Amino acid sequence: MRSCLTVLLVLGASLCADETSSEHWSFRPLVRPNPPRVSNASWVRNPIDAFIARQHEERGLTPQLEAPREVLIRRLYLDLIGLPPGAKELDAFATDADPARYDRAVERLLDAPQHGERWARHWMDIWRYSDWDGFKGQLRSSQKQIWHWRDWIVESLNDDTPYDQMLRQMLAADELYPDDLDKLRATGYLARNWVLFNRNQWLDSAVEHVSKSMLGLTMDCAKCHDHKYDPITHRDYFAMRAFFEPYHVRVDVVPGQPDPAVDGIPRVFDGLLEEPTYLFVHGDEDRPDKSTSIAPAVPAFLSFAKLTIEPVSLPIESWQPARRPWVLESHVSATRRDLETAREDLSSAKANVTATAGQEEAVVKQAELELRVAELSVELQERELVSMKRRVEALRASWVRPEKTDGTVAGAPKGPERDMVVAAVRAERERDAARARRDLAAAELDVVLSVPEKRTKHQKKVARDKLEKAKESLERATKRLEQPVRPRDKYPLLVGAKWTPTRFRRSNRDDPGVSFPPTSSGRRTALARWITDPRHPLTARVAANHVWTRHMGRPLVESVFDFGPNGRAPTHPELLDWLASELIDSGWSLKHLHRLIVSSASYRLSSSNKGARRSTKKDPDNLRWWRRSPIRLESQLVRDAILAHAGRLEPTLGGPPVLRDDQESSTRRSLYFFHSASDRNRFLASFDEASVKECYRREQSVLPQQALALTNSRLVLESAPRIARRLNAGKDATTDREYVRRAFLSLLGIRASDAEITSSVDALVRWIASSDGDVTAARARFIWVLLNHNDFVTLR
Amino acid sequence: MSDRPLPSRRSCLSDLGMGFTGLALGAMLRRDAYANEREWAPPDGRPHFEPKAKSVIWLFMNGGVSHMESFDPKPALNRYAGKTIAQTPYADVQDPEKLEIERLVVPDVNGNQRDEIYPLQTGYRRHGPDGIEVSDWFPYIAGQVDKIAIVRSMWTTDSNHGAQVQFHSGRHQNDGKFPTLGAWVHYGLGTLDANLPQFISMGTRPRWNSSDSLYLGAEYESVPLRVAPGKDPFDYASAEVSPGSSRGLPLCDRTRREGLDLVRQLNLLRGKEYPDDPALDARIASYEMAYRMQTAVPGVVDISREPEATKTLYGLDKPHCREFGTQLLAARRFVERGVRFVQIQHGGGGAGKWDAHKDLKKRHTRDALAVDQPIAALLIDLERRGLLDETLVVFVTEFGRTPGSQSANGRDHHIFGFSVWMAGGGLKRGVVHGATDELGFHAVESPHYVTDVHATILHQLGLDSRRLEIPGRKRLDVDHGNPITEIMA
Repeated sequence: MRSCLTVLLVLGASLCADETSSEHWSFRPLVRPNPPRVSNASWVRNPIDAFIARQHEERGLTPQLEAPREVLIRRLYLDLIGLPPGAKELDAFATDADPARYDRAVERLLDAPQHGERWARHWMDIWRYSDWDGFKGQLRSSQKQIWHWRDWIVESLNDDTPYDQMLRQMLAADELYPDDLDKLRATGYLARNWVLFNRNQWLDSAVEHVSKSMLGLTMDCAKCHDHKYDPITHRDYFAMRAFFEPYHVRVDVVPGQPDPAVDGIPRVFDGLLEEPTYLFVHGDEDRPDKSTSIAPAVPAFLSFAKLTIEPVSLPIESWQPARRPWVLESHVSATRRDLETAREDLSSAKANVTATAGQEEAVVKQAELELRVAELSVELQERELVSMKRRVEALRASWVRPEKTDGTVAGAPKGPERDMVVAAVRAERERDAARARRDLAAAELDVVLSVPEKRTKHQKKVARDKLEKAKESLERATKRLEQPVRPRDKYPLLVGAKWTPTRFRRSNRDDPGVSFPPTSSGRRTALARWITDPRHPLTARVAANHVWTRHMGRPLVESVFDFGPNGRAPTHPELLDWLASELIDSGWSLKHLHRLIVSSASYRLSSSNKGARRSTKKDPDNLRWWRRSPIRLESQLVRDAILAHAGRLEPTLGGPPVLRDDQESSTRRSLYFFHSASDRNRFLASFDEASVKECYRREQSVLPQQALALTNSRLVLESAPRIARRLNAGKDATTDREYVRRAFLSLLGIRASDAEITSSVDALVRWIASSDGDVTAARARFIWVLLNHNDFVTLR
Repeated sequence: MSDRPLPSRRSCLSDLGMGFTGLALGAMLRRDAYANEREWAPPDGRPHFEPKAKSVIWLFMNGGVSHMESFDPKPALNRYAGKTIAQTPYADVQDPEKLEIERLVVPDVNGNQRDEIYPLQTGYRRHGPDGIEVSDWFPYIAGQVDKIAIVRSMWTTDSNHGAQVQFHSGRHQNDGKFPTLGAWVHYGLGTLDANLPQFISMGTRPRWNSSDSLYLGAEYESVPLRVAPGKDPFDYASAEVSPGSSRGLPLCDRTRREGLDLVRQLNLLRGKEYPDDPALDARIASYEMAYRMQTAVPGVVDISREPEATKTLYGLDKPHCREFGTQLLAARRFVERGVRFVQIQHGGGGAGKWDAHKDLKKRHTRDALAVDQPIAALLIDLERRGLLDETLVVFVTEFGRTPGSQSANGRDHHIFGFSVWMAGGGLKRGVVHGATDELGFHAVESPHYVTDVHATILHQLGLDSRRLEIPGRKRLDVDHGNPITEIMA
């Protein structure tokens, strides 16, 4: 099914023949407009409304009334935290006319941790969040632990981290905060573009989507030729690519987990500092023009200041991440944990010997052999711990040697350090011998287990062969113990980060590794500074439009990712500029922008066009915001709201995604569900799930499959009775009439009309009668009906 | 919007009750939306003129079938094998002026000129009373060649796989997204069976060709069905809580129906507060369709009670035919019950299975094996049930393949000349129309752009595409195409 709306410009590109680039509205510097004076001043709650009202007045439109209070509060909750208001809040709101109550709710909701979750999902659409994709276990795109970036988005929004800082961190935290793991998570934005097989596809994604999402520029149109509408040359495309040319992806060790494959922060680093950028003739990657390497640069029409690119010297811990204080500690403590586990296994093996004493011979024999294996496993883990400590000591000692300029350590280890290396090598040999002894015991156990008739001949042979091999291994390991340690013998180093290997060479093997250099090119920092420079004419306008779209259901600039001459002109250019100025002047506070918009009278309008024949006729598409445009709830909201009403939603924030097999029984918020191009939740997919490839706006389709999901899914059928019970719990929900009123209010944000109540009560009475007076069952059916009501999936 | 009172539509709807008449609900809803356009009337579900056909089965081969190795024999390729096109007497086919129709989207390694002539990878034999040549890779279809009208002179403009959407909508992907033929048919014609979706889509579709109705509105979107042995036709096909379960709400047919009646009633009442909300209208319609689908579709796609002989005819006993054969058999069962447009994608996803840039012989024989017998079976089955006269079976693909070789043993995309065929629905039987040049490069005799196929189908269904146009959505002449009258009976 379709998953995401690509904005299509079927009609009316606004390109005027005589318009030059400097005159195009979005390329002009941002100047804060003054809110106009309007005659309907009493309607105006904040300057947004003045801009809106002026167009009403110019076009003879009358704004609709404010939405009823119960509609307003549901709107506010779903919009700001993505969850419906509870019964108490609704009741209080519906009855209390104190105007400050709304503002207090705004503040409370913006402060709620669920706000970050709700708006993170919006930005995840725009920034193309995708969990990893691949073939069986093989990673082919994005990153296995990319969810750290999602958590960073949630946290940053909750902290109201300024938008410009967020962009800078996403583009260049590795240069700006090279040792701050928390901020390094932000570069998941770029790590997400990683693809196993094709570097060009990877960098094309970076160029295309940085430009579209942050700048509203379709740079990708200039990949093969000069842009047909924007003043972006073919060369500009590659100059933009050059910012990204050096970057690769690695996964950094996190405290407590030495294995980055289990958990670690995927982040970017500049690994290919000397890599040239060539223009591809006609965009054909087989035809690079190697006569010149193109330097990173921004399109001339947007170079309002000189772009300075300065290489960044990185602190040693960032390019030798094993030096980070927690890394070696993580390795040691993981080994300690393994030792503990081995000791626990030993206790149970001992207990088992006691328990089986006196039983038949085979059972006793097996228990004894198992005990032997457990004892040797403990010994192995003890050796492992010693070995780990020796390795740590030797590695630490190597760090005090002077460095050479290329980052390697000078000379061979000498004196006490040499002794440490020898000790580490020996400790490792001891560990290997201990392992060989354990493996031999395990192989003996296996032979014993293979005696019974149920084992096939083949299985018995395998067990015997294994035993022979184990004996040989032990022999070899024992021999090695006696050999002297030669200068060339090394112990395995402990790593603090692992490069994510690529396969661009199509050799069926990982490409040669990319090491972590001590400097970074500084290119992405320069790009990020340029994008977030308050003088940039596009960044704040594009962001303000993204935010407005999600609050109001429709953008000010219809072509949300194309602010160029081929895009649509804004319906309210001054309002857009005013919002953009507010964003910048508030220190890029997104919460400030949210607050402004939801506090406006424009936001609070009713979405009905009842009694508005004249306005409907003049502006049928509501381009001038004389009423609110209703929004079909996004997929995640539909599911989250059902769980919230049932009182089942788990409030836990963050963490690894919920995998497909666990989703059916999971009660976590939908944004935590594993979501990639090939693996998506089928309930969410019924409601226009975000495409991970590109989703600047969600589609709002209406399909029969949605009706089936809401009528038949286990989620709905199991939630309906719970919701019904919760609504019963209210103190005066005794009569059917009162129950219906309550359910309408709670689930739909509707103060039910007499006709709605009568229809519902009639049905309830019939259903109760036909089920031998089972009120509970009838009410559950009624709740099921309201979950299928159009307004349940609609933000009015 | 309209000056006349709006509620008429709603009272009309509530009067109809659940029995629901046959004509499209969407048509009724739409009538209000455009009521101010006095000169314009939305379709009323009746054909504009006497139709020859009632239904369409649209078989789309994703990736691009080689015309030279299916329905358009070119012995010259064997003659000049290994030579470059420039070395043949037909060098002028590559005259740049003749190549200008191409509209490039992404220049990449594919969709390029291939100069070295690649010989035919299969033989041809004459079939039927008129001795029409069909390649040996399609022996079953060849056996039915007396039923089909082959058009050997198609052309298109997108040399990338966006040509797939182009063949469905008639527009190049750079122009934007436009409704597909199936959506127009669904929009223009009423239903023959109110209990089934009128526009059904089966098989995997690539992302760029994943939707149909677009500006015609959500109610004309094709309903995607998963028709495969042992699978439900759609998600949530039945209630996931069984009656008698203590953990959830059990629903039987009666309680579901009663519940949905109340849903509809309450939605209509809300319409009084929100008098002109197209989403609300579409939501009401979608619940009707969902209910009918759930009731009627599983029975139709359940082919288990078809006679064994029929299953064997469609090749269901052979693993390579089973999936496509099941879909075609279901398609027959759908058109039998009056579904207007069944769209089946073969080999969809990615570039498409038929996209044989290399290993053409290996790939095309594999894919032909999967579709050949089921398609022939469909023609036989429709014929013996007397349905072929009123059903148009269409075999189409986004483009052909180059006369020259790619990667030693493959062929590249080729837009300048390729073949499709149609059968039944009042068309001539056992004819060949149009021709490409000696190399199979350009359509030289009676060339047809893809919308000519659309125009032919609409004509047979009794529809005039110009009378379906929506105000504010002016279509180009090329969008309408011209019916291929030469193949009409």
